[in-house]
Amino acid sequence: MKVRFILNNREVEVDVDPREILLDTLRYRFGLKSVKRGCERGECGTCTVLINDKPVYSCMVLTVQVEGQRITTVEGLVNDDLFKKIIVSFAEKGAIQCGFCTPGFILTAYALYRIKDKPSIEDILKALEGNLCRCTGYKKIVDALTSIRS
Amino acid sequence: MSKPDYVEIIEEIFHKYREKKTRDFKYIGKKIVRWDAIDKVLGEPIFTADLLKYIKNPVFVYSVRTEYAHAKIKSIDVSNAEKYPGVLNVLTAKDIPGVNDVGYVIPDQPLIADRKVRYIGDTIALIIAESYENAVDASDYVSVDYEPLEVILDPLKIVEWNGLEEKPHTLIHDERGSDVLSRYKIRVGDPKKVFNEAPVIVENEYRTPMQEHAYLEPEAAIALPEPGDAVTIYAKTQCPFDTRKAVAQVLGLPFNKVRVIAPALGGGFGGAEDVGNEVAAKAALAALITKRPAVVLFTREESFIGHSKRHSMIARYKHAASRDGRLLGIEAEIILDTGAYASLGPFVGWRAIVHSTGPYRVENAWIDLAVVYTNKVYAGAFRGFGNPQVTFAVERQMDLLAEELGMDPVEFRLKNILRNGDRTVHGQLLDHGVGLEEAIKKAVEASGWFEKRRRYNLEKDVYRRGIGIAVFYHGNSIGAEGADYSSASIIIQRDGSIILRSGVTDMGQGSIQSLINILAETLGVPPSYIRVEPADTSTVPDSGPTVASRVTVMTGNAVLVAAYKLRNRLNKLAAEMLGCEPEDIVIEAPNVYCRDDPENSITWQELVEQSFWKGIPLQEFGYYRAPPAEWDEETGRGSPYFTYTFGAIVSEVEVDLETGVTRVLEAVTVYDIGRVVNLIGAELHAIGGYIQGMGYALMEDLYYDDQGRVYNTNLSTYHIPTAKDIPKEIKAYFVEAGYYHGPYGAKGLGEPSIVGIAPSIANAIAHALGGKVNRDINKIPLTPDTLYMIIKKHNLIK
Ligand code: FES
Ligand code: FES
Repeated sequence: MKVRFILNNREVEVDVDPREILLDTLRYRFGLKSVKRGCERGECGTCTVLINDKPVYSCMVLTVQVEGQRITTVEGLVNDDLFKKIIVSFAEKGAIQCGFCTPGFILTAYALYRIKDKPSIEDILKALEGNLCRCTGYKKIVDALTSIRS
Repeated sequence: MSKPDYVEIIEEIFHKYREKKTRDFKYIGKKIVRWDAIDKVLGEPIFTADLLKYIKNPVFVYSVRTEYAHAKIKSIDVSNAEKYPGVLNVLTAKDIPGVNDVGYVIPDQPLIADRKVRYIGDTIALIIAESYENAVDASDYVSVDYEPLEVILDPLKIVEWNGLEEKPHTLIHDERGSDVLSRYKIRVGDPKKVFNEAPVIVENEYRTPMQEHAYLEPEAAIALPEPGDAVTIYAKTQCPFDTRKAVAQVLGLPFNKVRVIAPALGGGFGGAEDVGNEVAAKAALAALITKRPAVVLFTREESFIGHSKRHSMIARYKHAASRDGRLLGIEAEIILDTGAYASLGPFVGWRAIVHSTGPYRVENAWIDLAVVYTNKVYAGAFRGFGNPQVTFAVERQMDLLAEELGMDPVEFRLKNILRNGDRTVHGQLLDHGVGLEEAIKKAVEASGWFEKRRRYNLEKDVYRRGIGIAVFYHGNSIGAEGADYSSASIIIQRDGSIILRSGVTDMGQGSIQSLINILAETLGVPPSYIRVEPADTSTVPDSGPTVASRVTVMTGNAVLVAAYKLRNRLNKLAAEMLGCEPEDIVIEAPNVYCRDDPENSITWQELVEQSFWKGIPLQEFGYYRAPPAEWDEETGRGSPYFTYTFGAIVSEVEVDLETGVTRVLEAVTVYDIGRVVNLIGAELHAIGGYIQGMGYALMEDLYYDDQGRVYNTNLSTYHIPTAKDIPKEIKAYFVEAGYYHGPYGAKGLGEPSIVGIAPSIANAIAHALGGKVNRDINKIPLTPDTLYMIIKKHNLIK
């Protein structure tokens, strides 16, 4: 089936099997390696992407469902100011170990900050709940995100 | 015999900087943004599965696994699977060209099961197909005729208490004639006499669960066929050299035809030790047979049943003490369940026995430990490696004793802990920094221990608060497990940039940053000058495995040795160029000058260029080898590890009596790591280790049905902590007691950071629930239902 959508500000069209998940489309057809496969069942958040600015597990979405939608991954945000602020805070606060979960966290945080520039700690914890990290213990991720509250 | 030069260098540096405060260094112990941080936030690093993007025409390899946890294989028919569309080959045990074994320590684990299957994850055939889907679908057409055997899941069906003798049972490893994998003991002093006369004796039974690493990157390997029957493999492996050995053995190839490269690893925690060998061997086999790139990718469910776990433990401990609170003796029997295969079980058992009395002065001990097989998922390396299990039991015992004696748990510990100049239970003299007392005092002060301990005693709410402490020690590196060495190469490029190569891997733990900090400090260059190459078996000598908290100490020493030699050469040349003594040269790249004359400087690049023209070598290889460990199998006496990391953890919890739900409110961790080399990395261990340990204490366990099938094989049924579970505050402090054979005095922290967590939380829960309950807090995880049963039993809520 042919599907058209906006990927990182570019209009794209792909011909996919109706069962193909967005995660595979992004990784294999578009070579976007920031989108990780950690479980393929909506449990870990490593495959997080933004669909119309909302964080979504791309493993739980069929590619045919995103017809006409706007998909964003970290590759599409490199020139965005809010994004830059978030990644700098992650790097400087040391919110990173293996990095497998990191792009997912960044997108989730980005989506949160787009709608709230002063989220409370509870807002942050709630937003991050759907992204697992086995290395850092989350603390420095939360610290990074509280440090940029304007 | 004179000392090797590398030992002299490490000692010289240690003594030279011993009194220098960490805050006065330029890079050591500073908050330095890790080398790969920006790449990682951008999703740039290449993890194994990302390489699929760069290879053409791959084949996919799928492991067909057994339906039975214990059965004989009578026959196997793959002919229908071979006919399935897209299938290229179906391999069984007989197709393996070399030795069909990937056992890590002993050869007990076939890559593809041949005679029998021993647990639910055993591979019985490999399907190689054009697509992953083809391979999975074809697996339905492999038919196996099994003869099911009794499934044994309880280690107490293998051995019994009072001697840990083996019981008659259906043998899992009939080829070995026994299902006891290994036994260890400690025989010190005269415990019989002590226990006959001791005024205070406390005994209890303890259980700890099988914990899953749950690293977020599932296992992956990609193998590329090379000319001359050679193969290059990219794999998720912590230990590329061990992987190479395993693959070479399976393929029947010499080591130099097998090249293993470890790209970025999405977590390891010990779990990527042996399964790395298995996935690499499967991919390599398929690549050599098809002459095409071959890909192995595990799903999360396969990862759960397909890689090793933390050994579960059942132990009986008996402690004797004098009325005034002196520990007199310990008797214990400890059983570790290694599941279907040995993996690193023999070494885990050894580390467990070494640490089985805790960081205390113990003069009388009689301890037996057996590692036994069952039909569970095999257990192997997991951060802490046997020590979290025994430390849970020991530290619970210490709280029971303190209560029995009417003493505060902190005071009781302070009366018995190891200090500088003491001997461990093995008789090892602690002749350098023992920062345990300082760590305890710091943790007590930072947590407000005494006041809270008193205040929480009086609480009567449905939300009960409690505060608990646990202390521990942890031997660094591999001790008596094998030859303990490491190495690293530093190559200064002609433009002044630097390449650092070694065979150790980065799985996120951060010790590579420690290497960078050591190198930067020693040479006098900013960390940004340094690039780290991934571990590649064909470009560096074996640096030993990336395990056992050994990288900062062992590879750190190797880096320091190489950097020291380079620095001496550069100082000499700079002294000639600038006209002063070599020891007066200051390198603060890009500037190089004489201490007394900073105005008159040359640049780092000029110095490098001049070295090039003068033929002064700009590369150096560093090597370090630890002295052999000593261990007497009969008595447990000796010097098992060259140094120990010490720690004290205080946890504060709140238990909801109506639901049994525990929340950790606050925690303080204090670790003596000799010298803080990588501050952010050390803090990340303190916090990340805490949260992983909190999962171990409160929520994580693998559940089996009676046929050995695992119920919870994904992250929605196997719960690990999320951001919402973390305590409000985790304070991380470090004590720097200094180790004369560590780089600038440093010791390891990777594994130690989980060891004391679960007992500190359990002790806090016991405090929250009050005295009567103490003995019943003897098993982790302390899930809400477990705690609720205890709360009910003691009528804490009507
Ligand atoms: S891969 Fe999508 S949530 Fe885990
Ligand atoms: S940094 Fe490794 S999982 Fe988050």
